[in-house]
Amino acid sequence: MVASPLGRLAGLLPLIGLIVAWQAAVMAQIYPPVLLPAPHKVANAFALYGGDILHNTLASLSRVAIGIGLAFVVGVPMGLLIGRFAWLDRLCDWSIQTFRSVPPISLIPMAMLFFGIGDTPAIVLIFLAGLWPLLLNTIFGVRTIERTLLKVAAAAGASEALILRDIVWPAALPSIFTGLRLAVGGGWLTVVTAEMIAVKSGLGYMILNAQMTFRPELIFAGIVVIGAIGLLADFSVQRLRRFACSWQEGLMVQGR
Amino acid sequence: MSAAFIECLDVGKVYDGRTGSVEALRGVSLACAEGEFVCLLGLSGCGKSTLLQMIGGLEAPSSGQIVVAGRELSGPSPATAIVFQDHGLFPWMTVAQNVAFNMKARGVGAKERRARVAEMLALTGLSGFATRYPHELSGGMRQRVGIARALTTKPRALLMDEPFGALDAQTRARLQHELLEIWAAQRTTVLFVTHSIDEAVFLADRILVFTPRPGQLAAEVTVDLPRPRTPRSPGFAALAARLRGLLGTEEGSE
Ligand SMILES: Nc1ncnc2c1ncn2[C@@H]1O[C@H](COP(=O)(O)OP(=O)(O)OP(=O)(O)O)[C@@H](O)[C@H]1O
Ligand SMILES: [Mg+2]
Repeated sequence: MVASPLGRLAGLLPLIGLIVAWQAAVMAQIYPPVLLPAPHKVANAFALYGGDILHNTLASLSRVAIGIGLAFVVGVPMGLLIGRFAWLDRLCDWSIQTFRSVPPISLIPMAMLFFGIGDTPAIVLIFLAGLWPLLLNTIFGVRTIERTLLKVAAAAGASEALILRDIVWPAALPSIFTGLRLAVGGGWLTVVTAEMIAVKSGLGYMILNAQMTFRPELIFAGIVVIGAIGLLADFSVQRLRRFACSWQEGLMVQGR
Repeated sequence: MSAAFIECLDVGKVYDGRTGSVEALRGVSLACAEGEFVCLLGLSGCGKSTLLQMIGGLEAPSSGQIVVAGRELSGPSPATAIVFQDHGLFPWMTVAQNVAFNMKARGVGAKERRARVAEMLALTGLSGFATRYPHELSGGMRQRVGIARALTTKPRALLMDEPFGALDAQTRARLQHELLEIWAAQRTTVLFVTHSIDEAVFLADRILVFTPRPGQLAAEVTVDLPRPRTPRSPGFAALAARLRGLLGTEEGSE
């Protein structure tokens, strides 16, 4: 069952409900305006601080793009190889399980010691936030390849390079996209946190700065942007997956 | 016929699994001449697939030896090609890409690949479907793609593992006819696994009957009925009944 475009918009209803409740809370004056600015004030903040918001958004976005890009370039080939070769899996499994349990946020102090304040520590942390989901999902994807397909390749005398490129990689691609989705989400969480501590630009920095300069509407504006971009990023990854794995359509229960 | 093209000498296979070891095959000796159509007939679990995979070089025998095209096997032989029961098509490749895969694996150039793919698609009646994905095809068409792919490298022997097992009766009958035509035209050896007595009698020059626990070659039956055969051909029913007896199933196995 594929929902109609109009039906998809139903997903906006809870968000609209939230804004209504927010407006109601403001009118009931549950919190003073310095804590809870009215929705229109926040909307106004986009006009007031538009340039600032844009600049910081781009800073955050580019860090995530670089960090996740690096995580993809490292994690996916590693995952393909680890998934394909059992001895490599035995070699790496314990290390992966150990390091992936460390939340990237907890590495902020160390990242600052090593890389100071700026882009580098943030990108390193985003890289780590994205690496594990990409790596683990890639490995998982390789493991789920139908045995018959590998037999076809073996019977044909296919080289290992051909097997990796024409079989292992496409077979793992849907799972890699699952990893990418998680990585982008994790990277986006990490960038905001890292920017509150280790960087002097970006949405996280902007929000913290707004707090210290008593501009609650800018805090809220920042939160809105973070949420909106999170939604959009997820949307884009899904789109990309549908495009790259179009062969999967009709194999899946639901065409979404 | 000269020396056997495929030869198994006292071949046994034991699988070591987590639940202990399984003796899948014991003491199988057989010979298959070039150009012959041989069916391996047996009930489920008697090691037919195991034997075919060993002849295809995908599994090593635990004992005995297998000789294909005059060489003892130590891996897949370029002289054979396998058609799998669950077709083994790559879902992310189009029909044409799937058919081209075995040639790509052998390093055949793109131009030659294209020409040969077109030729094989025509032979298997798939010409209009080159750009389709496997999930857009019917089960019968998928098997044709598998057969087309196996034929691209001009194998001297085609190893087929219950290729028509999952098809409805009509589609199955049509593909059996087409397979015989292809076999007659290409003069390849065919080793064909089935658990259907009628299919074996319809197709084979010779039927090797397997019995289970452990898988063993129980009997060898030459089919000298003229082709084309039908279940109403004289001698067909008698032979089928004899095979039923050999398999030890009075009710048959359809
Ligand atoms: N990879 C494996 N590991 C362990 N045991 C196996 C393996 N493959 C097959 N076997 C066992 O070997 C025996 C023969 O299996 P095989 O698949 O060759 O039978 P088959 O005659 O092809 O049966 P079917 O008609 O159901 O396909 C079975 O008991 C099976 O459980
Ligand atoms: Mg089998």
